[in-house]
Amino acid sequence: MTQETALKVFKCLSDMSRLRIIQSLNQGEMYTELLAERLELTPSTVSFHMKKLEDAGLVLSRKEQYYTVYSLNREVLEKTVYALAASQPEQIDEQQKREEAYRQKVIKSFFDYDVLRAIPVQRKKKLICYERIAERFELGRVYEEKEVNEIISPIYADYCTIRRDMISEGIFQRDGNRYVRLK
Amino acid sequence: MKEFITYLDSRIEEGRAEIAALTADGRKDDANFAKVRTNIYDVCRTVSRTLADRPGAGIDAIAAQLERFRTTWGAALEKAKQHGDVSGIAVEETKLAALEDVIAHFREVTGA
Repeated sequence: MTQETALKVFKCLSDMSRLRIIQSLNQGEMYTELLAERLELTPSTVSFHMKKLEDAGLVLSRKEQYYTVYSLNREVLEKTVYALAASQPEQIDEQQKREEAYRQKVIKSFFDYDVLRAIPVQRKKKLICYERIAERFELGRVYEEKEVNEIISPIYADYCTIRRDMISEGIFQRDGNRYVRLK
Repeated sequence: MKEFITYLDSRIEEGRAEIAALTADGRKDDANFAKVRTNIYDVCRTVSRTLADRPGAGIDAIAAQLERFRTTWGAALEKAKQHGDVSGIAVEETKLAALEDVIAHFREVTGA
């Protein structure tokens, strides 16, 4: 386990509702509605807590018909506090980490889920948004202009501007009415 | 109308007490949901007060505004569900649950 994951575990556990969920799951597997009833929380609030517990690796889930059944991940929970505290930092370049955090921040500011709110004025931000849109296209595959428009238009109404900008930024290569994603 | 505003006042007071209790109990995230809920009562109180005082507005205008909230937040909930946004779903459901409570009480008091 990395230091980053250990930190996630500690943050996740510093909440009384989540500790109560862990106590309940210690008695056996449970699904959201049952936990909600036991803890007097709404099912959506329990789901919110379960997502945090799952992201921290403390809980495992599996689908069973209409329900998601949760159980404790004892491999993580049975580690000693010292083992968690002494875990090593992830070997990721600091600069890379900062850039990814910035990218996520820009995406959060300019996208409402899959819809682009506005084209950023700043070129760096604009590129991040266009790269995100480009993820909808397969690398190297040839797309007809109509297809390109159909993919971009649900993301942003002025799809022509985006399509043109993506060509000038070198994301698309255009040959007549055919487009290929380069990066 | 005064009875309705008094009801909203009491829900806001209860909400504030709940936020304090949950925070003291080490339930920060649940306290945040209580804040969202309390904020909805607050927004509804502000809107109701404003529209109640506006000439030509009144009960029908308040009912229409509450309905608009329901449509907007209902759409936001659907969007969150479509994208599997667990946090968004919890927030929008909390908002809608508080709004439904407000609408039910508003109808009871005004007969609208």
